[in-house]
Amino acid sequence: MSSENPSFTDFNLQQRQKQRQKWEDAMISPPFGGFNQASESGYLLLSNPNNQTKILDHQEDGKSTGTLGSNKVQDWDPRAMLSNLSFLEEKIHHLQDLVHLFVGHKGSGLGGQDQLITQQQQFLITADLTSIIVQLISTTGSLLPSVKHTLSADIPNGQLGGHPFPPMAGMNCSPQPQNGGGSKVSDQSSKMDVAGDCGAGQSHFIEEHETKEEEDADEGEYLPPGSYDILQLEKEEILAPHSHFCTICGKGFKRDANLRMHMRGHGDEYKTPAALAKPTKESSSDPVVIKRYSCPFSGCKRNKDHKKFQPLKSILCVKNHYKRTHCDKSYTCSRCHTKKFSVMADLKTHEKHCGKDKWLCSCGTTFSRKDKLFGHIALFQGHTPAIPVEETRGPAVLSDKMDGKEASNKGRKHKFQLWLSCCRKWG
Amino acid sequence: MPTRSTPILSLLTEDLLIQVNEKLVQDSDRKKWRLICKEFHRVDSLARKTLRVLHVEFLLTLLKNYTNLHTLDLSVCPRIEDGTISLLLHHVDHSIWARNLKCLNLSRANGLKFAGLEMLVGACKGLESVDVSYCCGFGDREAAAISGCEGLRELRMDKCLGVGDVGLAKIVVGCGRLERLSLKWCMEISDLGVELLCKKCLELKFLDVSYLKVTSESLRSIASLPKLEDLAMVGCPYVNDVGLQFLEIGCPSLQKIDVARCDCVSSSGLSSLIGGHSGLLHIDAGHCFSEVSPTIVKCIQKLKNLNTIIIDGIQVSDTIFQTISSNCNSLIEIGLSKCEGVTNMGIIKLVSGCVNLKIINLTCCRSIADAAISAIANSCRNLLCLKLESCNMITGKSLEQLGLHCLLLEVLDLTDCCGINDRGLERLYRCSRILCLKLGLCTNISDKGLFYIASSCPELQELDLYRCQNIGDDGLAALSSGCKKLRKLNLSYCVEVTDKGTKSLGYLEELSDLELRGLDKITSVGLTALVTGCKRLIYLDLKHCEKIDDSGFQALAYYSRNLRQLNLSYCAITDMTLCMLMGNMTRLQDVDLVHLTNVTVEGFELVLRTCCFRIKKINIHTV
Repeated sequence: MSSENPSFTDFNLQQRQKQRQKWEDAMISPPFGGFNQASESGYLLLSNPNNQTKILDHQEDGKSTGTLGSNKVQDWDPRAMLSNLSFLEEKIHHLQDLVHLFVGHKGSGLGGQDQLITQQQQFLITADLTSIIVQLISTTGSLLPSVKHTLSADIPNGQLGGHPFPPMAGMNCSPQPQNGGGSKVSDQSSKMDVAGDCGAGQSHFIEEHETKEEEDADEGEYLPPGSYDILQLEKEEILAPHSHFCTICGKGFKRDANLRMHMRGHGDEYKTPAALAKPTKESSSDPVVIKRYSCPFSGCKRNKDHKKFQPLKSILCVKNHYKRTHCDKSYTCSRCHTKKFSVMADLKTHEKHCGKDKWLCSCGTTFSRKDKLFGHIALFQGHTPAIPVEETRGPAVLSDKMDGKEASNKGRKHKFQLWLSCCRKWG
Repeated sequence: MPTRSTPILSLLTEDLLIQVNEKLVQDSDRKKWRLICKEFHRVDSLARKTLRVLHVEFLLTLLKNYTNLHTLDLSVCPRIEDGTISLLLHHVDHSIWARNLKCLNLSRANGLKFAGLEMLVGACKGLESVDVSYCCGFGDREAAAISGCEGLRELRMDKCLGVGDVGLAKIVVGCGRLERLSLKWCMEISDLGVELLCKKCLELKFLDVSYLKVTSESLRSIASLPKLEDLAMVGCPYVNDVGLQFLEIGCPSLQKIDVARCDCVSSSGLSSLIGGHSGLLHIDAGHCFSEVSPTIVKCIQKLKNLNTIIIDGIQVSDTIFQTISSNCNSLIEIGLSKCEGVTNMGIIKLVSGCVNLKIINLTCCRSIADAAISAIANSCRNLLCLKLESCNMITGKSLEQLGLHCLLLEVLDLTDCCGINDRGLERLYRCSRILCLKLGLCTNISDKGLFYIASSCPELQELDLYRCQNIGDDGLAALSSGCKKLRKLNLSYCVEVTDKGTKSLGYLEELSDLELRGLDKITSVGLTALVTGCKRLIYLDLKHCEKIDDSGFQALAYYSRNLRQLNLSYCAITDMTLCMLMGNMTRLQDVDLVHLTNVTVEGFELVLRTCCFRIKKINIHTV
């Protein structure tokens, strides 16, 4: 966690975005998971923090309107700091109580279920601890001037400082200002002289980011071990031509409807008409257990037994990862006959660009798109687009010339004769 | 000879002679100068700055003589090829001509490819202006060759159909100092190319993107050009008001804007553009939108310096004329061609304020009558050009007023004004500066009218008498003695004209364009007399002159070596003569040979073989 802190002083855009994502992941998911877990397992005490956050919610609302009214960034607000600290204190108290409870529980003991319960307990505690740490850092962070600047730019002021972790609101609110901030930054950069290319580079980065997200973007994600469920599909299941997978047992289906039928077997909650109906949009209030996936290939970094295990985010990630890394590349590009792929989508992406006009700059750089080449040329002094040598042109011109000469010779001869006859006519 | 001429030459030193020589403007005067003596010829070669070559055969010799050329115009000798260039440059001594060259006109030089251009550009280091318009085969590689001219300031590439964004990119990177660029009809160029252009060539003052498939995005880039003064974007179908709004806040030096025939531009877009540039001098918005809106009228009030406004084909009302009259006092030109709603009252209001008007186009403003023309004549004493085609209500009274007041008049278009008769033309007697007079379809004009013209317009260069059926040989005789400077003459369907008439046309030595369509009284005798006299003929139309036989065409082939364009459709020419004609006319580029009943398929084959390597356009259609 502490490694995250300096990143706020880093003004490099890309890095900052990445870091910010990390930050957010770390910030939101643990308490979120923690609370949900708690409410699911029905611990009495945990209704308390919920109430408290509600109260805090009100407080925060009042304060934020206050700050909006004064329209002034808080340089140093002792009241906010005090409320932060008291919140932290309360949180630590709760945690204390919780551990007390666990201790009491352990005494009563419940045999076979014991292990599961311990795991859940451990999970809850880690989650709460994480949230406390995060809160602590953010409180400290608001005191450092440079950090405060970034924070206030990224997230509406007072939110982090005044209200640490509203279970839902935080989730809903924070991405929006973040987007706003991002586009603002790119706007500014495009106003500068480097203009379009900076913007293009950025969008390119985002593109890459998106495609990478399937498998690799979660590299920076930090989830405390045990804060999520790990699912490992069998190799056969991964390679089966299914696209809908059960989030509980991992079984794959070709159609979502079939999956929903299957889900009925996992419990009554899946039997309701709402669950069986076509999902329109996942309602955010549903309890969601964080699921991560493990690759069945032992020794792989994505395998749960690996020392530095990095879980995969979704079943699609598992599928693509497994095919890309552990399977033969059976799809060959029909245009260049050299590039091979194991995922059909990768082949299709490649084929879109393969064999097409390569846009070549005089400096030797190639581009798949004309506008990218032109952006490059606009940026660098003296670079020009290279014109490919036309192979067909040479001989065609030659033959044309031959014809022309022949014709002209003939014509001249004929013309001469005609002219002679004409002269004779005129005397 | 040398001993006699010494005293004069000892007085007139070389630099004095050069100064005198530079005063000569007309080609004919220069020719006389050259023929005086060797020394004068030498001085002329030294002093000559511009050269327009008609025959590529003479190019080598000419360039040997003229070493101080600034401008070389090869636009009328289209047969220039890569080989010609290498010949011109590799005769070592003779590439001196290339060093001083600043302007090069290669318009229509389709034979020139990138290899030749590369050599040319490599030799002419000082080139500042290049014209390669209408080189339809001109592509990106040729553009790349042009990009070698680092100092290029002006480039015309009209209708270089093969040039795309890549070619343009080459040019804008290579020639960053471009000030004037025309990309008209370069259909392959898109927003990308224009965007790059506007990033690299910040010195641009004039840009023509007419008929390109560019969108408003291009205007966003163009708006960033700091020095742009003149923007032409005729017929850009994808440009809309959004684009004009970009221009509203950009291009601080904009003076001229031409948005004619941009279908997606509305009057609100134009008014926003005008709103941002109160210093505009020239607006052309012809055929853009249907009606002049009140917002436009409001905007025009701010344009105190406006020189030119062209709103062809737009419905107008008297209010706009009132506004222009009271606000734009320096207006010089107004175009109202095919405008609905132009009334006498409107014009009277207009000219009451705009007394400096020199060019007025009222083509097809059918409700205009003598009252309006009288008002124009009374107010606009400096009038140079007045176009009144299809203004049927005009009568001799208008011409009387013009003759009284507008003594500077140079161009008068009275096509299809059936109210004009001989007496009207008589009234023009004081307009002695008329250069161009169009009387097509004025069926009331007879030889008498031509007498008046011939006696009052000695400067006349262009005369259109299309379908003036009462014109006869006597009128032409008068013309040929009175209007010696006539260059263009249209006598199509003046059916009374006979050999006698064409014979008198033979005295017009300057005549270059002649249309004689449908004159079925002309025979070979007349044609022979014509072509023996008019050595400068460039364009001749003999369509439906069915009486002319082979002997006439043989004379044509013999004398009219300068012909560039010829129409022989429906003529009685036969195989042999056609072949001779086509073989002999080395400068012919465009020929119409439709419906030649006496020519066989074999004859056509032979004709094509004879001329295919130099002719550019041939129209053959047999039934």
